[in-house]
Amino acid sequence: MEDRAFERTRSGRVRRYITGYIILILILGLLIVLNINTGSVKLSVGEVAAILTGGMKDATAYNIIWDIRLPRLITAMLLGGILSVAGFILQTFFSNPIAGPFVLGISSGAKLIVALTLIYFLGRGINMSSVMMIVSAFIGALMSMGFILIVSARVKRMSILIICGVMVGYICSAITDFVVTFADDSNIVNLHNWSMGSFSGAAWGNVGIIAAVSLLTMVLAFMLSKPMGAYQLGEDYAKSLGVNIKVFRVELILLSSLMAALVTAFAGPISFVGIAVPHLIKSLFKTAKPIVIIPAGFLGGAVFCLFCDMIARTLFAPTELAISTVTSILGAPVVIYLMLTRSMER
Amino acid sequence: MDGDRILIKAERLNVGYKDKTVVSDISFEVCRGEILTLIGPNGEGKSTLLKSLAGYIEKLGGNVFLLGKDMESISPADKARHLSVMLTGRTDPELMTVRDVVSVGRYPYTGRLGLLSKQDNEKVEEAMRLTETDELADRLFNEISDGQRQRVLLSRALCQEPQVLMLDEPTSFLDIRHKLKLIAILKRWIKRDGLAVVMSLHELELALRVSDKLLCIKGGKIDRYGTPQEVLSTDYITELFEIDEEECMEAIGVPVQNIL
Repeated sequence: MEDRAFERTRSGRVRRYITGYIILILILGLLIVLNINTGSVKLSVGEVAAILTGGMKDATAYNIIWDIRLPRLITAMLLGGILSVAGFILQTFFSNPIAGPFVLGISSGAKLIVALTLIYFLGRGINMSSVMMIVSAFIGALMSMGFILIVSARVKRMSILIICGVMVGYICSAITDFVVTFADDSNIVNLHNWSMGSFSGAAWGNVGIIAAVSLLTMVLAFMLSKPMGAYQLGEDYAKSLGVNIKVFRVELILLSSLMAALVTAFAGPISFVGIAVPHLIKSLFKTAKPIVIIPAGFLGGAVFCLFCDMIARTLFAPTELAISTVTSILGAPVVIYLMLTRSMER
Repeated sequence: MDGDRILIKAERLNVGYKDKTVVSDISFEVCRGEILTLIGPNGEGKSTLLKSLAGYIEKLGGNVFLLGKDMESISPADKARHLSVMLTGRTDPELMTVRDVVSVGRYPYTGRLGLLSKQDNEKVEEAMRLTETDELADRLFNEISDGQRQRVLLSRALCQEPQVLMLDEPTSFLDIRHKLKLIAILKRWIKRDGLAVVMSLHELELALRVSDKLLCIKGGKIDRYGTPQEVLSTDYITELFEIDEEECMEAIGVPVQNIL
C-alpha cells in the first residue's frame, strides 16, 4: 500500500520533470524559428529553410542569416543558459534566492577588467583574442567574488551582502564608464555597446570557444549536483555526510565566476537573468534538486535570453535596445517578489 | 576486540575554539546498544563537545576512536557511513519535501550523481515509517511544525545507517507526548541495529530514564561519569545545577530515587 503510494508520488514527480523539459524545449524551438525569421529584413519560413539547407547563396538574406542571425542566436542561447546556471550555483552557495552574478557585482567586476585590458591592448594596436577576453573577465569576476566573500565572512545578514554586491557593481560600472568615455581610439566606440550588455557583437569566430567553455562548465556543474543537494540542507549536514566543504566551496566559486566571466566577456553584463530564471524554473518544476534544475535552468536561461534578445532587436528596429533593458523589465519584478516573500534577515 | 563492542571512545579529549578551551580532559566510551547523555547547565559546552566529536570543529587535544580507529585516520566518506548527526540549528531548505530531506541521509551510499537506488528508496521509506513521518512525506519541509521537523531530521540521521548517532538536544521542540515517542523510536532502533548514541538533553528526568551512562559537564570539566545510579542523587543534582532541593523536586517531578 505505502509502496504504491510512494511509487505514485514519485512517478508524478518524474512526470512533472519530463513535462517541464518538454515545455522548455518546445518554447526554445519556437523562439529559434522566430529569431531567425524576424528582423529588419523579413524572411519567410520557406526562404529561411532554403538558406539553411544551402540554397540562395547569392542573396543578401543568405549573409544575414548565416553571418548575423545564426551566430547571435547561438550566442544568446548558450550565454543565457550559462548565466542562469551561474545564478543557481550562487544561490546555493549563499543559501539566498536573491544571489546572482549581476547583483553580487561579479559581472561588473568582469566588465571592468575586460574594459581596462581591451583599452590597454587596443591602444597599442593589439587585438585581444577570445581567450584573453575570458581570462581578463575571469580575473575581474574573482576580484568581485573575493570582496563579497570577505563581506559574507563578516556579516551574516543576507540583505547586507546583496547591498554590498550592488554597490560593488556600481563602483565597477562607474570606473568602466569613465575609462570608456575618455578612451579615444575608434575601436573603443564598440566598447560602449558591449559595456551596456548586448548580443549584437556575436560572430562565428567566438561561437566555438563560447560553446566549448559552456559545455565544460555545464558538465562540471552537473557533476557537482550531488554535493550541492546535500549543501542545500546546510553546511554542517553536508560536512557530516562526507562532503569536503573547503574544496566544494572553492569549486563553486571558481565555477560560478568562470560562467559569469564567459557571459560578460562576450555579451557584457546582463542583469537579473541569474535570479529570475532559476526562480521561475524551480517554481515550474516544484523542486530545487540540482540534478533537475541545472539542465532545466540552462534551457530556461536560453529561452529567456532568446526572447529578450528578440525584443531588444525588433521592438524599436532599427534601433537596438541593450539586452539588460529588456531583462531588467522582465526580471526585476521577480526579484522584488522574492524579496517580499522571503525573510531576508537570516 | 574492543573495537567490536566499544563503538565510540574519547581519550583525554580537549574541546573548544582556537585559543579558548571549553571542556578539557574528557574520557568516555560508549558500547553497542548504549545511550550516553551529556547533562549540565547551558553554556557549559555540551554542544561544543558534540560538535567536536562530530568533527565540525577541530579538537584541541586528545583522541577520539570510532569503531576502534582513530577518527583522524578515517576518511570523511567512511566516517559518514558510520557516524551520523542530528543538529538543533534551524535549517530551512528551499522547496525540499520531507522525503527529499530524509533522502539526503543516503548520500554516503549513492553514486557520483546521487541517484537513489530501489534499496535506497526503501531505506528512506522505512526511516520515515519508524518515526511516523511517512504521512508528511510529500509536504514541504519548510511548512511543517518544529516538532515534525525534529522527527524528520531524526529519520534523516537514521537512514544514513550509522553505528554511532549523535543528537544535539533532539527533543527541544517537542511536547511531552512526542518526546516520549521520539525516545521510544530511538530505543527501538538502538535495540534493532545495535547503535551507540551520544546525545545532549536538557530534560533531566528524561536523561535519567533513558540513559545507560551520564556525562556531567561542569566548570569546563567532566564532573561525573557513570550510570545514572552511580552518578546521581538529589544532592548531586542540586549541586550540578546550583539549585535547592525544592527546585530539584519541581524540575523532575519525583524524587530522583524514584526514577532510578
